[in-house]
Amino acid sequence: MFLDALILILQEIIEATLLISILLVLGKAMQRLWPETAALGVYWVLPALGCGLAGALLYGWAMPVTSTWFDYAGYEVLNALMQASIIVLLPCLLLLRPAQASARRVAVAKVGMIAVVALGIVREGSEIILYLSGVLGQGGNITPVTLGGLMAAGIGCASALLLYYFLNALPARLALRSALVLLALFAGNMASQAALLLTQADWLPYTPEVWNSTELLSEQDIAGQLLYALIGYEANPSWVQVGVYAAVALLVAAMPLFRLAWGPNLKEA
Amino acid sequence: MPPRFVALLAACAFAALPALAAAPELQLVIRDHLFFPSVLEVPAGVKVRIVIDNQDPTPEEFESYELNREKVIPGNTKTVVFIGPLAPGEYPFFGEFNVRTAQGKVIAR
Repeated sequence: MFLDALILILQEIIEATLLISILLVLGKAMQRLWPETAALGVYWVLPALGCGLAGALLYGWAMPVTSTWFDYAGYEVLNALMQASIIVLLPCLLLLRPAQASARRVAVAKVGMIAVVALGIVREGSEIILYLSGVLGQGGNITPVTLGGLMAAGIGCASALLLYYFLNALPARLALRSALVLLALFAGNMASQAALLLTQADWLPYTPEVWNSTELLSEQDIAGQLLYALIGYEANPSWVQVGVYAAVALLVAAMPLFRLAWGPNLKEA
Repeated sequence: MPPRFVALLAACAFAALPALAAAPELQLVIRDHLFFPSVLEVPAGVKVRIVIDNQDPTPEEFESYELNREKVIPGNTKTVVFIGPLAPGEYPFFGEFNVRTAQGKVIAR
C-alpha cells in the first residue's frame, strides 16, 4: 500500500517539480548574466503552487462530469488543452530579455510562468486527488498512503533541488543554455503527451510506431520513468507523437531567447 | 457543376463509406477493483472502441504501457478508450489505483 502510493504519487509529482526547477534555473541564470533586469526570481513559485492546488481540487471534483463531455473524450481533450496552453504561454519568457524588460513586462512574465506551473499542477494533481479520494472513500488505512505521499513529495522536491543546484553551479551561460534546452524538450514532451491523449480519444488518427525500445529501456524501469518525466521518453511512440514533439521543441527553440543565449555578447556579470 | 464531376464526387463518397464504418465496440467493467472480463479478444489490425464502466464507487486509472493508454475513470462513471489497430499479440493492462488486483490483457488475433 505504502509502496504503491509512493510510486503513483511520485510519477505525477516529478514532472511538476522538474518544470519548476528548470524555470527557477532559467530565472537565476538570467539574473547572473543580466543583473540590471529583474529576472524571474523564486517567489512566484508560491502563488503557482497555491493556484495549482486549488485548480487540481476543482478539476478533480468536476471530473465525473467533464469526462463525459465530447462523447466521453472530456478527460483527453481537457488535458490536451492544458498541455497546449502550457506551450503557448512559454513565449512570455521573451519579456525577460534585457532589451525588453521593464517592471510591467517582468510582472506579465511572472504571471505567465505562474500559469504554466499551475496548469501542470492541475493536470497531475487532479489525478493524485482522485486517487486519494478513492483510498479515503474505501475507508482504507490512510497512514501508509499519507506516508507514501509525503515520501514521494520529498523525493520529488529533492530531485528538483538537485537539478537546480547542479545547473546553477555551472557557469551562467552554460546554465542558461542547459535550462533552455530542457525547456524545449519539456515543451516537446507536453505536445507528444497531448497527441497521445487525442489518439486515445480518436481525435487524431492512428499512426504506426517509430521505434520500440522496450528491450533497451522500458518505461516501467526507474530510469525510464525519470527520462519520461524529464524529456518525455517513450518506448514505443507513434509517428504523430514524434512529429509533434520535434515540431514543438524546434518551435520553442526558435524563440529569440535561444538566439540570445547562443549569441556572442554574453558575459557573466 | 458539370454532371460528370458530380458523378465522380459521388463515387468517391461511396468508396469512402467503409472508412466511416464504426469501430467494433467492447465492454469492460470494473467491479471490486477487478476487470470483467480480464481477457479481451480483439481483431488484429482494426481500431477498437472500449467502453469502460467503473461500477466501483472509487476512481480507477486504466493504464497499459504496451497499448500506450492511460485514463482516469471516476467512480460510478463510464468512459470510452480507443485502442489499435494492433498487431497480433498480447497487451497487458492494469488499474493503476489498485494495481495488485486490477489486471487484464488484450489479445489481438
